[in-house]
Amino acid sequence: MNDETFLNERVDVVATFGTGLNPCVPIKFRRRNGRVIEISEIGLRHPTMQGNRMVHMFDVTDGGADYRLEFDAERLTWTLSMEADRS
Amino acid sequence: MRNDYNAARPTVIHIDLNSCFATVEQQARPRLRGRPVAIVNRRTDTTMIVTASYEAKAMGVKLGMRLKDAKKLCPDLIGLESDPPKYRYVYHQLMRIMQDYSAHVRMKSIDEGVIDFSDSTLAMQNRDLVDIGWEIKRRLWNEVGCAMNCNVGIATNRFLAKTAASLHKPNGLDVITADNLRKVFGTLELTDLTGIAEQFEKRLNGVGIFTPLQFLDADPVLLQKMVFKSIVGLEWHQRLRGWEVDKRDFPIRTAGRQYVLDGYKMPRAEVLKRLHHLCEETGAKVRSQGLVARGVSVHARSYSDTGRGWRGSYWHARHMAAVPFFSNQAIFEQAKKLFEGAPVFVKEIGVSCYELSEPDESQLHLFGDDLARDKSLTNAVDQINSRYGKRVIHSADTLTTRMVKEKIPFGSTRYL
Repeated sequence: MNDETFLNERVDVVATFGTGLNPCVPIKFRRRNGRVIEISEIGLRHPTMQGNRMVHMFDVTDGGADYRLEFDAERLTWTLSMEADRS
Repeated sequence: MRNDYNAARPTVIHIDLNSCFATVEQQARPRLRGRPVAIVNRRTDTTMIVTASYEAKAMGVKLGMRLKDAKKLCPDLIGLESDPPKYRYVYHQLMRIMQDYSAHVRMKSIDEGVIDFSDSTLAMQNRDLVDIGWEIKRRLWNEVGCAMNCNVGIATNRFLAKTAASLHKPNGLDVITADNLRKVFGTLELTDLTGIAEQFEKRLNGVGIFTPLQFLDADPVLLQKMVFKSIVGLEWHQRLRGWEVDKRDFPIRTAGRQYVLDGYKMPRAEVLKRLHHLCEETGAKVRSQGLVARGVSVHARSYSDTGRGWRGSYWHARHMAAVPFFSNQAIFEQAKKLFEGAPVFVKEIGVSCYELSEPDESQLHLFGDDLARDKSLTNAVDQINSRYGKRVIHSADTLTTRMVKEKIPFGSTRYL
């Protein structure tokens, strides 16, 4: 339990951008090895400032493991930065 | 001074997030929900637990316990390293929700705050505070996450509202009024009252006060002259009766940081590097408030071999400078000099600046050119760090001190 692995892996993400309290919702992402992970729940989305750059952290799960996706709002890139509790 | 209980309609709501950091982690990582979780600042066995989830608390895990001791009580305990940006986000969300109800919101710490409705609009004053309390709970679930819970306390003053918020954890909502004040106090211990810890409890016991009800019925002169030995005694007499005496702000007096070392028998050069790191963070704190300091204080907790085992002790030293200072280098130079008198083996180090004040720009200094150069350089570094990220520029001495992580700001909300 709690076997956090910290990564710096660029991933392809399918996300919806809409209105409301959570305008950006990642739906699924594809890892470098080709595996596609369908997101079943977004736990928390919190923005952090890295200097003047805004990076949005999405803590998500597919029901089998927890992941952290980082969306760089300046460069428009998605990075998988953490994987934990793979069952 | 009023001797009666405040029978007015309650106007203060106290909101307290339940086991805040552990709950935020359970919100962020759904697979942790319902499991015992402990938050630590560093994931080693000897580190102290900062927050435990209710599942962990049910197994006997307490704050301040070492992680390895807690794991004996609760083998499934999950130790997580703290993640301050996440907690800061939830703090700002809670504050945003609270500010929708009144302009008079005062955050007491990273996980609790007070809404004062006494000066609110008539429309808001006509609303039932119990309804507002439930609405805030619902909004926290909807706008932050379904795992987030808070305790709500409602009363006529800040003290009783906080007391009400601690009656039924987790996720309670309680109201203390003049009608149920004695009944509520009858269920509490003296140390359940915020502000009464072991020392004050002893003093109260010394004059025959053993319960909150006896405290409530105590003569104000006895409290002033015998127990608290100041006006604080009279304030307690009013506070317990629901009259507001805590509606005030205190100016910032000190700014500092402390750090539990990542090794007990560390060479002095390594300790000084960490001290330098703390001085840089302390300098940034002082400057972020637009202030300058006159004094530096350093402390260390040490361990020495007495022949019958290791014994801990506390050491501190302070120095008051002739002229105000603000730069990291000025703070470190003084702290380093003071630290020459520190014990050999230290476990914890800390530095703080005191006698903080607004800079006096009107007076010309003898060494004005040096000060101006120092100020320009410090401002330039602060601006670069603000633009490109914390510690993008720092002293070469602290290149290897990444282990001195950002700390959760527990007390003051000034730096959140």
